[in-house]
Amino acid sequence: MKKLFVIAVLAIFTNTAFAATSIHAEVKGMVCAFCAKGINKKMREVDATKDVWVDLKNRMVVVELKDQKTMSLESFTKLIKDAGYDVASVEYINKTLLEIKADHTHTKEVK
Amino acid sequence: MLARLSLALLLLVTLPAQAAALMGFKDSAMFMSEFSRDRKELMLNYSPAVGHAFGVETMWMRGEKHTNLITNINYTGLIKRWNMPGGQANLWFMTGIGEVSGDSSGFSYSPGVQFDYETTRVYFLAKARMVRAPHIQYDTYSVQGGFSLYETSFEETQPWFVVEARTTDGMAMRNEITPALRLINQNYFLELGITNPWDSESRTPRLNLMLTF
Repeated sequence: MKKLFVIAVLAIFTNTAFAATSIHAEVKGMVCAFCAKGINKKMREVDATKDVWVDLKNRMVVVELKDQKTMSLESFTKLIKDAGYDVASVEYINKTLLEIKADHTHTKEVK
Repeated sequence: MLARLSLALLLLVTLPAQAAALMGFKDSAMFMSEFSRDRKELMLNYSPAVGHAFGVETMWMRGEKHTNLITNINYTGLIKRWNMPGGQANLWFMTGIGEVSGDSSGFSYSPGVQFDYETTRVYFLAKARMVRAPHIQYDTYSVQGGFSLYETSFEETQPWFVVEARTTDGMAMRNEITPALRLINQNYFLELGITNPWDSESRTPRLNLMLTF
């Protein structure tokens, strides 16, 4: 019984600690806004999606997830492939889209 | 109001048959056309899977001897795509079969291939297409090159300067050079050009728009 309780508590805290806020990917071949429209459209159709940011200059796609919602990296990658592109790298990030944008702007200013 | 409606209709029917992307994303539809003095083309296709699109097209063409309307069902396939960190290249195959009417009549077919390469600043395209029917041989070869002065974000409109050279067997205007200004946005692809601007006899405006749904 005690073990069960510990496992339950650990599971709750593990989920909270690693709940991903956003998915961040570098996308190969994404060079024009008109052509990348499919990425933006398909990502927004996903129930878990709160917001999408397509950054053409850095070939980057960020999807912010809704609270308590998840999207697997495999599903994310499939959507990018269905839009005609390849994913160079993809990862979960515990930041909101606004925070990622702010980081990105700051990095550019430093450069 | 009438002028706006006319402009909207004109925009709707003048989509570029020569754009780099010959189809949209999976489950999308794309409408393309070309509208000039001796050639009017309309094409609508649907992409059920990545790299495959099926559609219909109609081509009105005024040749040296004949003027015809060709109506085809068509298929566009992506033979190979190269997605690179800073660019994309594609090799396409397209074909159409249907019938021709007008000064000639009968079965028509129009296979072709296209290669294109694009970065956020540079663009190149080469295309060859046969258009054949009884007494008709409008084979077309074209190259396009262009550049943009600066990169833009996904939300902004990017201007491009593009030049196309095209030659078509059997057409009234065989050789065409078209400098154009291209505006690319996430929602549209608009091109304004003048074919053979130095030649008063063959000088023709070109207006292209592309939309995906």
